[in-house]
Amino acid sequence: MPDLTRRRLLAGLAAATAIPLATGARPASARPLDEVMERGRLRVAVYRDFRPFSFRQDGALVGIDVDLAGAIAEKLGVKLDCYEQLAGETVSDDLRVAVWRGSLFGGELADIMMHVPYDKRFGMMNPEAVLFAPYHHEVFALARDPSRVRSAILATLPDEPIAVEIDSVPDFFLLGMQGGRLRSRIIHCPTPEAAIDKLTAGEAAAVLAPLSQIQAALGPRVAEFPITTLALPGMMTSDWNIGMATKENARDLTYAVGDAVAALTEDGTMAAIFARYGATHTPPPLVE
Amino acid sequence: MKRLVSTLALTASLAAFSATGALAADGPTSDDLLKSATNTEAVLTYGMGPQAQRFSPLTDLNADSVKKLVPVWSFSFGGEKQRGQEAQPIVYDGTIYVTGSYSRLYAVDARTGHKKWEYNHRLPDGIMPCCDVVNRGAAIYKDKIYFSTLDARLVALNRETGKVVWNKKLAEYKEGYSNTAAPLIVDGKIITGNSGGEFGVIGMVEARDAETGELVWQRPTIEGNMGTLNGKDSTVTGKTNASWPGDMYKTGGGATWLGGTYDPETKTLFFGTGNPAPWNSHLRPGDNLYTSSTLAINPDNGEIKWHYQTTPHDGWDFDGVNEFVSFDLKKDGKVIKAGGKADRNGFFYVIDRNNGKLINASPFVTKITWAKGIDIETGRPIYNDDNRPGAPATGEAHDAKGKSVFSAPAFLGAKNWMPMAYNPQTELFYVPANEWGMDIWNEPITYKKGAAYLGAGFTIKPLYDDYIGALRAVDPKTGKIVWEYKNPAPLWGGVLTTAGNLVFTGTPEGYLKAFDAKSGQEVWKFQTGSGVVGSPVTWKMDGEQYVAVVSGWGGAVPLWGGDVAKLVKDINQGGSLWVFKLPKA
Repeated sequence: MPDLTRRRLLAGLAAATAIPLATGARPASARPLDEVMERGRLRVAVYRDFRPFSFRQDGALVGIDVDLAGAIAEKLGVKLDCYEQLAGETVSDDLRVAVWRGSLFGGELADIMMHVPYDKRFGMMNPEAVLFAPYHHEVFALARDPSRVRSAILATLPDEPIAVEIDSVPDFFLLGMQGGRLRSRIIHCPTPEAAIDKLTAGEAAAVLAPLSQIQAALGPRVAEFPITTLALPGMMTSDWNIGMATKENARDLTYAVGDAVAALTEDGTMAAIFARYGATHTPPPLVE
Repeated sequence: MKRLVSTLALTASLAAFSATGALAADGPTSDDLLKSATNTEAVLTYGMGPQAQRFSPLTDLNADSVKKLVPVWSFSFGGEKQRGQEAQPIVYDGTIYVTGSYSRLYAVDARTGHKKWEYNHRLPDGIMPCCDVVNRGAAIYKDKIYFSTLDARLVALNRETGKVVWNKKLAEYKEGYSNTAAPLIVDGKIITGNSGGEFGVIGMVEARDAETGELVWQRPTIEGNMGTLNGKDSTVTGKTNASWPGDMYKTGGGATWLGGTYDPETKTLFFGTGNPAPWNSHLRPGDNLYTSSTLAINPDNGEIKWHYQTTPHDGWDFDGVNEFVSFDLKKDGKVIKAGGKADRNGFFYVIDRNNGKLINASPFVTKITWAKGIDIETGRPIYNDDNRPGAPATGEAHDAKGKSVFSAPAFLGAKNWMPMAYNPQTELFYVPANEWGMDIWNEPITYKKGAAYLGAGFTIKPLYDDYIGALRAVDPKTGKIVWEYKNPAPLWGGVLTTAGNLVFTGTPEGYLKAFDAKSGQEVWKFQTGSGVVGSPVTWKMDGEQYVAVVSGWGGAVPLWGGDVAKLVKDINQGGSLWVFKLPKA
């Protein structure tokens, strides 16, 4: 019975709307579970340059998502074949390239893609993919220099420079907040780590970014720069679940991987992987 | 039989010699490129002349004789790599140089269709071009042929052998940069724009030494950014923070992804710039200069002479990259050095190319919702304020969609990349237009790189049941539409016009079509087997007039077109070069 329970919790989201495309050529076939096992290899897509989840360290591909994919492959008894994908304009583009249509430049589809938001409405917008196995709950957070920003209350943020990742929700939120009061004080950075660099260098008084990215980038300096999780009032999603995706025809794979993720969460491996990169694992709420 | 063949070959090579002169082996000079609009024996530049009028003085083919135009040969680009073929061929010394999808370049014998060489650019894994894997054409100069690649490099090849002479990085493909436009060569400099992802990018125009590929100057298109000249800082573009808040100018958009044109008379480059970033205009108050504009640039040093912004404070993703085509406007007994631009925003602009002053602006599509018109005195649009997509819904419900507006044209534009043509004999522009609109709103249920995000939601909708594409003859003196040809699918290919009173363009349905330039009557068509989204050219060889066009459906419509994409889903892909001629009587 526990297996069944897990399956109900962890299996795909897109089931109700997984309608085969009526148009055009069928995309190349994904490899469901049997094929993965037969080949002895699990092909996994992760984002390129995405600390602390997937990045290069001394040339090696490492990170939370990479290690988790490795642990899943081990549970399945197959080899990990992990590759980096450049993020597109939205995750819908990434799903198309990684798991269902494939790249215009050819190459193999991924069996699973890591770090895909697990959101029912988002799943319905992408019926060609199945979203499954939520493994982390992400939230936006503020890291601040307490001498310049005395409290972590957005509405009363002082007239001080704040660093954000360009073209992110924190960026849009602060550009629009209170009629744009802080608009000219925003420092736009290519990544959350670069924003944290501005904070620790004293160029910025605070950073607004996803919690795990702030934690990993600050490391031990969190003692100097307190972190507070925050809702961005009204505007848009402030917290969300992170899971995986595969193609809509690979449902048996989602059960096997979902079971592996549940086991890795229960035995503490998941928390240890997050801790390895300086982030705190927060399991997603079990009720949808 | 053998003797006959060799005699023919000898005749052919003699003809090539006489057509292009004794210097053929050295290749075209700067002067040849500047005069390429009147050279009927070759097609030396993208746009069939640096001004990009796409006009040929040839008259063998005319509205009567065109019915005798027949295919001579067809050349397949080969492989599985098909998709959109948006190139314009270059023709020189009996060879056609044509680019294909996936950053490929071919040299083909213009008489026989025999492949001389092929260059297949090795593309790195994991590149993510925003739209399709197209390329719009090559540039030729002296002994080299040049083109830009999907991984944002500029490659110079020996035109005889196809061997790489140099290969320079234009921008970092890992940051989402790409390049698909045909380079422009002026006075020994090869001049390129840039194309990139929607964020973190600023538009740039760059000049390199065509011999070595070394950078000569750079001109950022966004106010506040520093240009360079000969390896040193030159001048700041515009005035820092005049039209952008905070540090937003450092990442303000304005990519020059369609390349540019050049006017030898005023010695000016014209580059169009893309939309500003981020997409929601409420987050970046100000005109956001110089996005969605045409920039007039000095080719010697990259300094901006003037600008004209077609969509100040763009909130509809209209973009302003469309080509600026220099022409002589004959009005009230005077000749004005003008330029024409059919903008994505739906207005046809006639601008004094000496100073950037607006002369006339008129709609070239039937429905424009974002502005009531353009004020000729100030040159600024008269906005319909309630048609601007709303601000992100601060303070509203968690998943508030915000105001959805129906806006026409759609963000794919009243005219997209596909170049128009100008005929100095009919004194008309021939504009490939599309009639579509879009619902656009703030989409709260989006994610980017694994994180919550606020994107634009949009649905493109045709405006009419029976057509989307419309080839329109526009009189620049009055702004009036003189004639139109309606096409069921959206038009996505370039236009060619000739002194033989003809206009050529392709259709996604697979036809290359010819029209009477004065009346718009369709006088010829040929089915190429896949959608035509390239730009046709014409030239004379061995005493006969030739026409060439690439065939191969693709581009942005099937990827982004929403409801429109469904209309074109049954079009088969392809990848070939078609060559036609009017046989001697």
